[in-house]
Amino acid sequence: MIKKITQYTLLAFAITLCTSCFEILEEINLNSDGSGTMLVTFNLSKSKTKLASIMLLDSVNGHKIPSKDDINRALKDAENHLKTINGITNIKKTADYQNYIFTISCNFDKVVSLDAVFQELIRKQNKKEQTNFNTTNFSYDKNTNNFQRKFTYDAALKKAFYKLKGEDRKIFEDATYTSIYRFNDSVENVSNSNAKVSPNKKAVLLKIDVMALILGEKSIANTIQLFK
Amino acid sequence: MRRILLFTSFCLAALVASAQDLISKIPSNASVVFSIKGKNITDLVSTSEFENSKIGKLFLKELDKETKGKVTSIETLGIDVTQNFYYFLQAEESIFTHCFLIPLKNKEGFLSLLSDRKKENLVTEKGISYFTDSYDSAVTMWNDDTLLVVYTQDGNKYDAYSYDYETETALDAVEPSYEVAEDIAIEAPEAVIEEAPIEAEASYEEEIIIDAVEPSNDNYYTSDYYKAQAIERENARVKREEEREERRKASLIKTLERAKSILAGNYENGSILINSNYVKSVGNDKDEAILWVNDFGSIYDQALPLMLGGLSNPYEMFNFKSLYGGMSLTSKLNFEESKASIKTIYTMNDEMASYSREMYNGKMNSNFFKYINEDNLQGYFAINMSTEGILNAYPKMLENMFVGVEKEHLEDFIPISTRLISLLLDEEAIAKIIRGDMLFVMTGLEQKEVTYTTYEYDENYESTEVIKTKNETLPNFLFMITSEEKEIFSRLMRIGSKEGVIIEQNGMYQINIPNMPFSLYMIFKDNTLLIGNSSKDMMAIHNGSFHAKFSGKHKKLIAKNSTSIYINGQQIVSQIPVGMMPQAYEQKLNYISENVEDVIFKIGKIKGNVIEGEMILNTPLGKGHKNSLAYFINMMDTLVD
Repeated sequence: MIKKITQYTLLAFAITLCTSCFEILEEINLNSDGSGTMLVTFNLSKSKTKLASIMLLDSVNGHKIPSKDDINRALKDAENHLKTINGITNIKKTADYQNYIFTISCNFDKVVSLDAVFQELIRKQNKKEQTNFNTTNFSYDKNTNNFQRKFTYDAALKKAFYKLKGEDRKIFEDATYTSIYRFNDSVENVSNSNAKVSPNKKAVLLKIDVMALILGEKSIANTIQLFK
Repeated sequence: MRRILLFTSFCLAALVASAQDLISKIPSNASVVFSIKGKNITDLVSTSEFENSKIGKLFLKELDKETKGKVTSIETLGIDVTQNFYYFLQAEESIFTHCFLIPLKNKEGFLSLLSDRKKENLVTEKGISYFTDSYDSAVTMWNDDTLLVVYTQDGNKYDAYSYDYETETALDAVEPSYEVAEDIAIEAPEAVIEEAPIEAEASYEEEIIIDAVEPSNDNYYTSDYYKAQAIERENARVKREEEREERRKASLIKTLERAKSILAGNYENGSILINSNYVKSVGNDKDEAILWVNDFGSIYDQALPLMLGGLSNPYEMFNFKSLYGGMSLTSKLNFEESKASIKTIYTMNDEMASYSREMYNGKMNSNFFKYINEDNLQGYFAINMSTEGILNAYPKMLENMFVGVEKEHLEDFIPISTRLISLLLDEEAIAKIIRGDMLFVMTGLEQKEVTYTTYEYDENYESTEVIKTKNETLPNFLFMITSEEKEIFSRLMRIGSKEGVIIEQNGMYQINIPNMPFSLYMIFKDNTLLIGNSSKDMMAIHNGSFHAKFSGKHKKLIAKNSTSIYINGQQIVSQIPVGMMPQAYEQKLNYISENVEDVIFKIGKIKGNVIEGEMILNTPLGKGHKNSLAYFINMMDTLVD
């Protein structure tokens, strides 16, 4: 009972007072033969006070609040989806409801397999919402030792964002997207001016605000040329 | 069109004043009466003031759209906003008649709202005009100064789309061969299944037997029997439809007669104005809107068949009359210069009043007031009940619900059960643990350091999870319960300490709750269990150094009522850190901050058979709001985009 009282008291204030933001972390370790591992982390820890409170509700601002079961089901669906893709193995998922951090990771035998993970989902999204996102996200040419993160901006993203209410838009204000690609070979050059190459030349980090991505001001597209 | 009129009456009710009041058209036996006092409202905000407000403009825009430009102002609507609007309900023999009485200023204005098709179907006789809608037995009728909309709901019949079991049974009786043959055939393999060791074999035999007697679907649908049956069904459907239509027509005729009699207002037994219960309940004429419900018991009785669609009543095992019989309610909306209030008076029957008296016989612990500082007070919620009274009254109330209910021997079984429960429970001992009075206080907002997980990257961009801290504005609260069982509390805390979930700090106990950005602290002082999340305040209370400040106004509100809620709007808004709000809200927040006052909700203690509840919204003086109704309009003007 005490916990409920506390949560509801907090809830009354949390919706307006507590900050809400998240970070997405995409990490890929690529071997020279084109195989590798991928880890995607969705970290809502900075909003955990607010989340712990709003999880008590069915909906906020007209949006349904997913329950723990819903989130677990979504993660299971993602896992099942990965299992259907040839060349994807060692699928693991974690859900930390103390800190609201969710991860999913897998091994891939070649970049084409990794690309297939998102291909079908993006194709469905494009068909459903009449958007024009590219269906190929990753590519790697062993011969040229060239790795590409592809991304085509679609103005539908901005349009959908402006359809949101003011309070809902605020969620994206402090959100960040970070990608880290690690290689066995050294990086010769990168096409994205916002990307940073590590001092040992074997990793590329790109951290951008989600807002910049939504508004089309910055892109996550990057062509990474590795030394042969 | 009716939608517009009803919308106008209740949404725009705000603008109404009385030559010949329409109340004389409400019969003395009305069960529910809702009135909107036009003059009182237009004295507060004039028609033109409303029309020029943002909400008024939105309303007129909607009206203009709905009427395709025929109505562009309240004046052209034809409704006399200087008189009173009424809704009343008559419940007789499970027939509910809903009536809306709308004063007309210019019936031509109102007529312009009607479509040409509606106008063609108008009937005009002896100074009245009307059109009808047979589907829901509705009549819209008017004369020079009154518009009346009546529709009925008949709880005695459930015919609109019900299935005609009678006809179907008759049809089944003449349907001989196929089903009988199939039944026999299906029964046969069941015997086989029992004996047969392999299920698959049984299914196989079942299929063979059925196939042997049942014609193929094609044959069935082209058979003479099917054709004859289809004709029978169609005939039955047509008959049912004709009967329905007949009933609708009969119902409509009754509604039409009723509408004429209401519009004439010549009741043999007089109007509601001779109903002393109504007149006494409604009182003087200073309120802006009044809802009066006469007898809940009889309304429940009449409504149950309607709510259950005419089916058998699953609630027949309850004696509703013993609980709700003779109960009435009056609710009054009042806009004054510096406050808006809704006051509700609930009158109970003797039995319910006696139970309520026991339950609400609480005594507020005055020690609570020693732990509050009004300077930071954001609000509170107080309950002043008697646990012992509740435990004593509930079994009696339950027994009473089944008095005279012979079904399933409930009349005897229920009292046996409740006595057994009473024997098991020691009401007095339970009341020592929780007496029934409790107070939850919002004691202010505080910046607290909370942790979160993020990532740091080394020079080779290997990520590691790190814990960082940030400040969040969180509310502080204090919850107080009266209890005489300090011993139980101490033992529980000892168990918690041993189990490692509670940390003791010189008689103050700290609990860390997962997923919560703060800890809870508990102490037992005198006869009070205190639970709060401000370690500073709790420690001060524990040491006896807490600086209390609580005015008589609040003490009285809490002690004299069985339930009270207080929200200090100004304090809450002023403590919201502006930087944490979206920029678009900053200006609005400043306006709210300057114009918001406190809100009070209270339910009094029972006096005689009457219990009163009131919600009060105080509005600021000297901020350009000429009264509390104008305040709402001004707030909407500023806050609505």
